[in-house]
Amino acid sequence: MDSNTDLPYSFAVEYSGPPISHRSLPRALPIDISKIPVAAVVPVSRNSSKLLSSMPVVQPIVVSKLLGCNDTIVSPNSVISFNADKNCIGNGTGNGTGAETETTVSPGFEEQSSGEFSDMVNNRDGVGLGGRGESSGTLGFSDSFDKSREFSGNSLAFRACKESLDLNQQDWVSNGSGLSLSFEYPSSRVSSLKTGDCKDEPSFDRKNRLIGFGDIESETESFVDDIDIDVNINININININQGQPEAARVKKEPGVKTKKGVCYRCNKGNRFTEKEVCIVCNAKYCVNCVLRAMGSMPEGRKCVACIGYSIDESKRGNLGKCSRMLKRLLNNLEVRQVMKAEKLCAVNQLPPEYVCVNRKPLCHDELAILQSCPNPPKKLKPGNYWYDKVSGLWGKEGEKPSKIISPHLNVGAPIMPNASNGNTGVFINGREITKVELRMLQLSGVQCAGNPHFWVNDDGSYQEEGQKNTRGYIWGKAGTKLVCAVLSLPVPSKQVYPTGEQFSNTLGQSVPDYFDQIAPRKLLLVGCSGSGTSTIYKQAKILYKEIPFTDEERESIKFIIQSNFYSYLGILLEGCERFEDEALNNTGNQVSENDETVYSIPPRLKTFSDWLLKTMVAGNLEDIFTAATREYAPVVEELWNHPAMQATYKRRNELETLPSVSSYFLEQAAKILSTDYTPSDVDILYAEHVTSSNGLSTVDFSFPLSLDENNDKSEQHNSPRFQLIRVQARGFGENCKWLDMFEDVRVVIFCISLSDFDQYAVDANGNLVNKMLLNKKFFTSIVTHPTYEQMEFLLILNKFDVFEDQLERVPLTCCDWFSDFRPVVSRNSQNKNISSNNINHSPSMGQMASHYVAVKFKKLYASLTDRKLYVSVVKGLDPNSVDQTLKYAKEILEWDEEKPNFNFNEYTIYSSDSGSDS
Amino acid sequence: MQRSEMSSVAELKERHMAATETLTSLRQRLRERRLQLLDTDVATYARAQGKSPVSFGPTDLVCCRILQGHTGKVYSLDWTPEKNRIVSASQDGRLIVWNALTSQKTHAIKLPCAWVMTCAFSPTGQSVACGGLDSMCSIFNLSTPLEKDGNLPVSRTLSGHKGYVSTCQYVPDDDTHLITGSGDQACVLWDITTGLRTSVFGGEFQSGKTADVLSVSINGSNSRMFVSGSCDATARLWDTRVASRAVRTFYGHEGDVNSVKFFPDGNRFGTGSDDGTCRLFDIRTGHQLQVYSPQQQLQNGGNNNPNPDVTSIAFSISGRLLFASYSNGDCFVWDTLLAEVVLNLGTLQNSHESRVSCLGLAADGSALCTGSWDTSLKIWAFGGHRTVI
Repeated sequence: MDSNTDLPYSFAVEYSGPPISHRSLPRALPIDISKIPVAAVVPVSRNSSKLLSSMPVVQPIVVSKLLGCNDTIVSPNSVISFNADKNCIGNGTGNGTGAETETTVSPGFEEQSSGEFSDMVNNRDGVGLGGRGESSGTLGFSDSFDKSREFSGNSLAFRACKESLDLNQQDWVSNGSGLSLSFEYPSSRVSSLKTGDCKDEPSFDRKNRLIGFGDIESETESFVDDIDIDVNINININININQGQPEAARVKKEPGVKTKKGVCYRCNKGNRFTEKEVCIVCNAKYCVNCVLRAMGSMPEGRKCVACIGYSIDESKRGNLGKCSRMLKRLLNNLEVRQVMKAEKLCAVNQLPPEYVCVNRKPLCHDELAILQSCPNPPKKLKPGNYWYDKVSGLWGKEGEKPSKIISPHLNVGAPIMPNASNGNTGVFINGREITKVELRMLQLSGVQCAGNPHFWVNDDGSYQEEGQKNTRGYIWGKAGTKLVCAVLSLPVPSKQVYPTGEQFSNTLGQSVPDYFDQIAPRKLLLVGCSGSGTSTIYKQAKILYKEIPFTDEERESIKFIIQSNFYSYLGILLEGCERFEDEALNNTGNQVSENDETVYSIPPRLKTFSDWLLKTMVAGNLEDIFTAATREYAPVVEELWNHPAMQATYKRRNELETLPSVSSYFLEQAAKILSTDYTPSDVDILYAEHVTSSNGLSTVDFSFPLSLDENNDKSEQHNSPRFQLIRVQARGFGENCKWLDMFEDVRVVIFCISLSDFDQYAVDANGNLVNKMLLNKKFFTSIVTHPTYEQMEFLLILNKFDVFEDQLERVPLTCCDWFSDFRPVVSRNSQNKNISSNNINHSPSMGQMASHYVAVKFKKLYASLTDRKLYVSVVKGLDPNSVDQTLKYAKEILEWDEEKPNFNFNEYTIYSSDSGSDS
Repeated sequence: MQRSEMSSVAELKERHMAATETLTSLRQRLRERRLQLLDTDVATYARAQGKSPVSFGPTDLVCCRILQGHTGKVYSLDWTPEKNRIVSASQDGRLIVWNALTSQKTHAIKLPCAWVMTCAFSPTGQSVACGGLDSMCSIFNLSTPLEKDGNLPVSRTLSGHKGYVSTCQYVPDDDTHLITGSGDQACVLWDITTGLRTSVFGGEFQSGKTADVLSVSINGSNSRMFVSGSCDATARLWDTRVASRAVRTFYGHEGDVNSVKFFPDGNRFGTGSDDGTCRLFDIRTGHQLQVYSPQQQLQNGGNNNPNPDVTSIAFSISGRLLFASYSNGDCFVWDTLLAEVVLNLGTLQNSHESRVSCLGLAADGSALCTGSWDTSLKIWAFGGHRTVI
């Protein structure tokens, strides 16, 4: 006990200074408290006659409680020492900063530790302790102690830091008063736990305060030291949780209480013959009365409430989804089906990929997904080491003969090793020395094996000798071979994949996508005010990355939209025409010309039609009568459009504010659009308005075409990452943006602004006419400062650069108040410095300078709001290349973001630490 | 004639401006007048009558079930009227139908659009409805056989809204009619059998400037009347037979009205708002009867955080209790008579760890269910031993 205090491994050194009062503890708060479950009470084990060693129980504190105590005090003599490389918290440099040598213990630990205390470990094979948060009822954590009362040892040895946990039983009993008897032990990945000597309560309190969360509500003083110990445990767990890995909590759990054999773990009643349901994580058994209470709503199948989130006991994998009679009696069919479905399909119950080694390489998520979703997957994959011959599809356990022929050419695991199946025949197939059984099979099937040949065997069974071209034959070609294989229990290729594989494709077809949904796709949120061109960019993305951007039905409905748009353009023109006619008449004034004829007059026949059209438009039911109108009126409409009066009006279209600029694109091909067999082209769709805005939200899943640099991706992913572009229509979503917090899992927010808005005006929420650019700015500010998007990357798209350039020739940028200090001539130099323009040799055009200026304005605004960098891209929405580049830019932003040593997104640490300790 | 119309556009605009101004001034006068008339509120009167507040024992309301199974933030829940089932909608893109007694799922419905905001159980418990950012309301018949991929097919989609569907509620005792509220500022009464709009309430054309509807509640005793709460800090009372204009508009809140709920007697309704208060309005007089503001109750002085938003409210069967959930994870039980907080579920054991986004009372009033952004739903009920009479 005393001996361990001076060990170099301790992560916290005992405090030996003068006693410190609780009140005077300085506060140090580097921790995001709300994220840290806080430990609670230590229950005591006391069933053995020996001196009991008792374990602290981790009880995560419910966050709401924590919220209440944001001002938690971390005492200076306490240290929460995290691994430095996890760069989390290194708060006090106080005397307690010991290096925490080891924070993660994964299954490997058990083997080692159980070796270490083989004598004290009781008969259970796992060493972890099941934890059940008494008060919180949420996650328990397992700690790698053995809970067996048998360790008489006052000392608990841990792997890395051989420190003893030495606790005086009496004190613990007193500490643990008020604990329920049905405690279970939590266990965690923490191995470095150091508690010193605690002969008496006060000294424990003073000396062993590793971490003091000063005022945790609802905890009594006497539990404080327990908390101290356990916080470390929790924090470590929490790191993993933060990383967003379902495997994070991959910790072995064991039920805390060793009850009498056969009794229910909850009510302690019954005998070994009463029917019981078993927790698939910790093996706890519950009787029919207790199972629903102990297992709650079973979000992950039959697990105790405390075991939720933990990976299952691998020995029970075969029972997943197989319901017991007892459960069927307790619950109705629908409920049983849901429980079993959850049990089979929930992510945490899936086979952990790193438990499967193929050719000595632990798999990653994607590889396992490939393996399980291939047409002919290995049956009932269990954790273990396997070899896989990618050329022929042969599959077997390491050191054994092949057991199955699975789909070949899967990009899974490492290259095969010559001694993979531990053969000693000297004959090689695809670089693997085959076993005697296989050699016998080859011989029997008539393959010449004299002289220890090296064969290449393809998946169809054709084989050739290494270095030769001609196929020598088909191994499984003869009917007899299959018989031989059956006798020697060697696999043969399954000719019909589907009959045998049907079941798999059924179950896996669901489970794999569901399970892997969590890592893909990456979401990009595209927002902008109305008219900012988000729909154009969305449509561009569809056209750029989808093989069939629009289905025939979509095109049909788009055709309808385009045609009805055309009518509304026409209506606007007609209104304008009337107005111009009035003006013309007024101008000609008193000299009443012959029959009030002006250039804008429309002949009576067309006039009736146009009046009717205007009337229906005003009534708002243009769309209702429209279908009939198309065919019937197409010639009239064409005539109307070609009439000089309309053409004259069209020439003055700049004066018609309501006429959108894209209208000319459609008006000018009136004949084509109005024909019944018109099919909109991609370009037409791109130009068309209202195609995507009918719904508030539209999404498109896409992946960028594979390029070279993606092949060098560290994870060697076969398929490039998938993206989902989510476009939300700002209009109709209100200024308060109630929907913003729904997109918290978005990775990049693409905010779209039309550059041409600077001289446009719109009516804001209060009914005032406001410059649209200022409205954009307001909307931008509200989104950037929204709590949901605090940590998100923003990409600003300055859209409609082409329109902007034209516009600048007519209107100076300074007409917008916000841009009043735009001094193109003066600022030219600084602008060039700020943004490296590609054509530095040419003097930048007005449009470029102005767009740079706007970009800088927004960047400054963004920096002042968030202290971060805003990514900006100037785009012409109608130009595919420019949109393509921008979306690729968004992808790059995402990749930079991932490469940052970021706690939350670093997906690989957990793999490496897990697999490292696994081996 | 047309000419004169055209030339009067400017004049019209002017008249419109003037009319708007008159309207606002009239509204102001109305408010002042109301304030003058308002000589008391419920709490003051009740106190004067010597009413004593409700008191809660330690086991009177405890968390007795935790419904785990969602993997995203829970946004909405609804109870069946007769059986003890709950439907909940979450950001994981699923609707889950729960058996509240066993706390087991009976259906997990994967939605075509994951951004769901609201869900509702039909009066017979045969079907559930949900709506969200896809601007549609989807109806699922729970007895439909599953599709091959294990999903429940959509039995009907109600499309026609131009903004997100923020709320939906079935007309009581009528499985074929449903009222939705939407971000397009309108409420719509739907006929589910035909999938068409029966009538549209509010919206851009009919009633001038309003804002996104966030919540609706149908009067339990007269299902022709319903109230809507919206982003313009008002609540509106509608008669389903008169779609053209609201029967009455209730002012008073200073933030978006997130939740409205009819009082059990049907003559009053409660509101919960972003301004952190709940209010009680009388539909007959149009008066505000009471403000339930936690600021008066809890002196969190120095806390520069304004009141947390009220996300959802519900009345007990008697109406004596008002349950209100807050964005900070609190869930207050108000004494409606004395306007005092009698219990905060957020401080009880097993309380939610995040914003409580929705709550609902079982039809018989025996249990309260809360849904939270911490992905779980919790059922609160009497936890002690009741003496059976």
